Parts: sequence; C-alpha cells; structure tokens
Amino acid sequence: MNREYEIQRILESKRVLRRKLAALPIKEKLAMLDVLRDRLLSIRKAAALNRSVLTREHPPEYKTDAGK
Amino acid sequence: MGVADVISVFNKMESDGIIERYAIGGAVGATFYLEPSATVDVDVFVSFRLQPGQSLISLKTLYDYLTRLGCIVEGEYVLIAGWPVQFLPISGSLSGEALADAVTVNVENIPARVFTAEHLAAMALQTGRAKDKARLLQFIEAGVLESRRFEAVLARHGLTGKWQAFKKAFSGQ
Repeated sequence: MNREYEIQRILESKRVLRRKLAALPIKEKLAMLDVLRDRLLSIRKAAALNRSVLTREHPPEYKTDAGK
Repeated sequence: MGVADVISVFNKMESDGIIERYAIGGAVGATFYLEPSATVDVDVFVSFRLQPGQSLISLKTLYDYLTRLGCIVEGEYVLIAGWPVQFLPISGSLSGEALADAVTVNVENIPARVFTAEHLAAMALQTGRAKDKARLLQFIEAGVLESRRFEAVLARHGLTGKWQAFKKAFSGQ
C-alpha cells in the first residue's frame, strides 16, 4: 500500500476521533478532564522518579594539543 | 469531586458577591468547544466590584472566603475539589471584553460561564506559547471559529499582524 495514502488515512481517522470527542456532551468531556489530569500527574510522577534513578555515563574528556 | 464541583464554587462565589463575574478560560474553557486535552489546573478570569475609595484589587477577601469553604491556598493556586485553580483578575482590554462577552453553558443544571471560542483563540494567539499555538490550531481545525467575529476581535485588540504571521507560519497562507 502507498505509504503516503496510509499516513493520510491515519491522520483522517485521528481527525474523526477528535471530532467525535469534541461532540460529546460537556458533562462527559469535563469528567474526561478529571481522568486525564490524574493520568498526567501519574506520568509526571513516574517520569520524575525515572530521572532520579537514571544512570548516566559521561565520556572521558578529549585530550587535545590545544594550549600547548 | 471534579471540574463540575469547581464550577459550582465559582457560581457560589458570584452569588455571594465575592467576585463580580467569572469566566473559565485556558484548557478547561477550550474543552467546551474542542476535544478534552490534559491539563493540571483551571484558569478562571474574574472581575471584582471595587468598594468606594478602593483602587487596588486584593485577592485576600477571595482567599479568606475559599479557606472558610475548606479550600487550600497553595502559592498562587487555590485547591478546589482537588483541582488547583488560578484566579486571574482581568487585565487588559482583550480579557475584559472576553469576560463581558462570555457565554453561559448548562452543565447538567449547573450554569458554567466560559469565554467564547473566538476570545479563547484570540487569547491563545496573544499569549503565544507553544501550547497556545497548538490550541489555536485545534480551534482552526475544529472549525468552531466564526471567522468574521474572530477577525473583528483580533482587529480591536491589535492582533491582526500576529494572526497574519501565524497563518503564514502554520498554514502557508
């Protein structure tokens, strides 16, 4: 299948989903905000935790002749 | 507890005379027109009735009132029904007009006042952070802006040039 066609089809399906969500009753959309906020906070918390235990390897400094 | 409860508190504040008028802006305001998108706080724009002889607005009365209701003040936010809420006193002509023109939407018998889509989009253009630009694009793509009304708002608040630049950058126009 044509790759360009595939991407267009995916983008279109995303547009359709967004339109569907936008058309939901406002009470449902506000309830979704509550759930989205909880998820966002969980993700941020997990990301912060991951950052603190991340092992970083620093490459050795390059030795150059500069300044000799 | 949720956003709907936060809106009930705004209504109570207005009926108790703590604020003169409120309107919801930001991502929560945009949700009235677009698909919901994740946000961590609620932005509410408020006006106050100044007492005779008073020239400065103080948020102290508002904070004291909310504390009595059991809300918690955390820096510039007030925690209401689990949501951090930022009260933004009207500053500038665009937010003043947006508050005056705000519309009331019924959320299952709870009246919620929210900025019009055109004012939310104009404020996003004026603020201009990456997330504001993304929201403005959402408004455009969703086709919820009444173009003549939107462009009139932009013209009244000196944002036409910024709008032209935005269109050039994002839609190749």
